[in-house]
Amino acid sequence: MSVVPPLPPAVRRRIQLRAFLIQGSWNYRVMQGTGMAFALLPLLRHLGLRDGDLEDAVGRHAEHFNAHPYLSSVALGALARLEMDGASPDTIRRFRSAIRGPLGALGDRVVWATWLPLCAAVGLLLYWAGVGGGWAVAAFLVLFSALHLTLRFRGFRLGYESGTAVGPRLKELALTRRAERGAVVLVFLVGGLAGLLLTGDTAMGGLSRSWSAGAVAAFLSGLVGGVRLWRPTALLTVGLVVLVTFFGLRAG
Amino acid sequence: MSIVLLRVDERLIHGQVVLGWGGELHPSRYVVVDDELAASEWEQDLYRLSVPDEVAVVFASVADAREAVAGWRGDAVRTVVLTRDIQAMAALAAGGALEGMEVNLGGLHHRPGRDEVSPYLFVDEADREAVRALVEAGTVVSGRDLPGAPRVPVDQILQ
Repeated sequence: MSVVPPLPPAVRRRIQLRAFLIQGSWNYRVMQGTGMAFALLPLLRHLGLRDGDLEDAVGRHAEHFNAHPYLSSVALGALARLEMDGASPDTIRRFRSAIRGPLGALGDRVVWATWLPLCAAVGLLLYWAGVGGGWAVAAFLVLFSALHLTLRFRGFRLGYESGTAVGPRLKELALTRRAERGAVVLVFLVGGLAGLLLTGDTAMGGLSRSWSAGAVAAFLSGLVGGVRLWRPTALLTVGLVVLVTFFGLRAG
Repeated sequence: MSIVLLRVDERLIHGQVVLGWGGELHPSRYVVVDDELAASEWEQDLYRLSVPDEVAVVFASVADAREAVAGWRGDAVRTVVLTRDIQAMAALAAGGALEGMEVNLGGLHHRPGRDEVSPYLFVDEADREAVRALVEAGTVVSGRDLPGAPRVPVDQILQ
């Protein structure tokens, strides 16, 4: 696997475009499996597979698969490489079943539990700091999409360059450690947001002491109860939204 | 005894195991019993990605695991033992090496010829045969995906 076979740009672009629809036919039986097969179809056609061979290839890529929708691109890249190298169906089956778990766990950690709430906190902070609502939303979208698209496109390239050896390459990226750093920033931002909500005149028009006490109590109970939950940041995010909604209703 | 969980799961090491069960049981060692995996380094690298650096991951063939299992039960390291199918777990339990322990069936997914027991548990006749072998070897078998979920009793699996 030393020489990376060139993948025609047109094929690569079509796979990457189709990868945006990876969950378009999500179901309990194969989950993202059909989406994976749909995304890889341009490559299978490029390889000249026909009739029975094409059906077999689509079949093996449509088997059960589930990972994070953005990081699935790493698997798509590696699977494209395996198909280019003419890997056996058995290698492909085993690669698929080994890669889905780690990619799912990494994506949950990095995107859902860290980057999404972090970007949301930035957007909310901007909004309550007096930036217009439209600009706050735009800032959220640009910030969130930057990592989203990076994961998709660089992930695909990483997968294609590495094939089955993608494990050590992913480890080098130290995504988990970066997510931990992101979580520290997130806590800092949430703190700033809480401060802004509790004290700023512009935000809620000033709050009574009882509301402040309620917010502190909610935060503390989240802190105590939250750590027992599977994804503490998920609870934090939900708590934050509920809190803001309450305040918003009161202000309105 | 320090085997804290015996689990059959086609996905082997993944989120439900590391976060769901790992968060509850705090193991310091995962043992994956699988002949193909024990011989395949790139696959081992992939499965290791899901586990924090300070937790050990051991890959063993069924034969090696049969010799080592008494040691895992005896030493002080909190260990989770995973197999991909019920047959491998039954091979491990044969002769009573796992007597008195609970075997957790956590993820056997849809495949042609398998019958649905629960959304995460599909078994065929060969699987049921292996469950009977496990029961005969003195283990208690039940289905359960996560620690907080209700158990699916063995009678329901054998139906």
